Amino acid sequence: MNFRRDVFQAISDPTRRAILSLIALGAMTPNSIAGHFDSSRQTISKHIQILTECELVKQEQSGREIYYHLNPQKIKEVSDWAEQFRVLWEGRLRHMDKILKSMKKD
Amino acid sequence: MAEFVKVSKLFDAAVEEVWKLWTEPEYVMQWWGPDKFTCPIADIHFKEGGTSLVCMKAPESFGGASHYSIWKYTKIVLHESIEFIQNLADEKGNKKRPTEVGMPADFPEDVRTLVTFKAVGKDKTEMTVTEFADFGQMSHFAQLGLEQSIGKAAAVFGA
Repeated sequence: MNFRRDVFQAISDPTRRAILSLIALGAMTPNSIAGHFDSSRQTISKHIQILTECELVKQEQSGREIYYHLNPQKIKEVSDWAEQFRVLWEGRLRHMDKILKSMKKD
Repeated sequence: MAEFVKVSKLFDAAVEEVWKLWTEPEYVMQWWGPDKFTCPIADIHFKEGGTSLVCMKAPESFGGASHYSIWKYTKIVLHESIEFIQNLADEKGNKKRPTEVGMPADFPEDVRTLVTFKAVGKDKTEMTVTEFADFGQMSHFAQLGLEQSIGKAAAVFGA
């Protein structure tokens, strides 16, 4: 089956997640990104391409260099999806707090 | 496996007490069901390689359905951490795919869960729950979910 590339697929790879964490700190050129990894420049460039295709990363031309930076709106798609599970756990933690308080009284 | 939920809370209790929330069925039954839900079953087999079966039951006003989950423990470090895999299941504890038990298609299948406990003073414990899941697999489900929503929207507009 051939699925459309989406943010979930893009972040399923640890190298791509590392690239995202890296450029979250500031826009970077492809060379400086590749400098942080042992993999070949080609491999890293392929990862950047996938991240760009699903718009997690945007490119900007500055003089002769291309800079890649994070697209926070797309990151939000992931966090919005995860939000429902976070809300569920926060409810459970509140319940746990109540249980511990009643354990003390006993 | 990527992290997708991480929640922490500071409790006014010793680590040993907070730990019991996970090991004693009578405590698990009090927190596993969300608000208004009940947890009628917490069959806890708390040991590495063991599997617990927990059930949450919806209130009658929500249809009263029971949802079963299993927690298979992969690593337990006493009073420090608990690692387990959550799966949806049937009432006998057999693993089920989310769509087989009526959950939305984007519900993750294998959810690796890590619970850590940290004493931060006398009778104060910080507990952190982290859930990890395979986003590659979820992408597939998210895609199906999207197509279903588009289908519904199309039906509303008479397309």
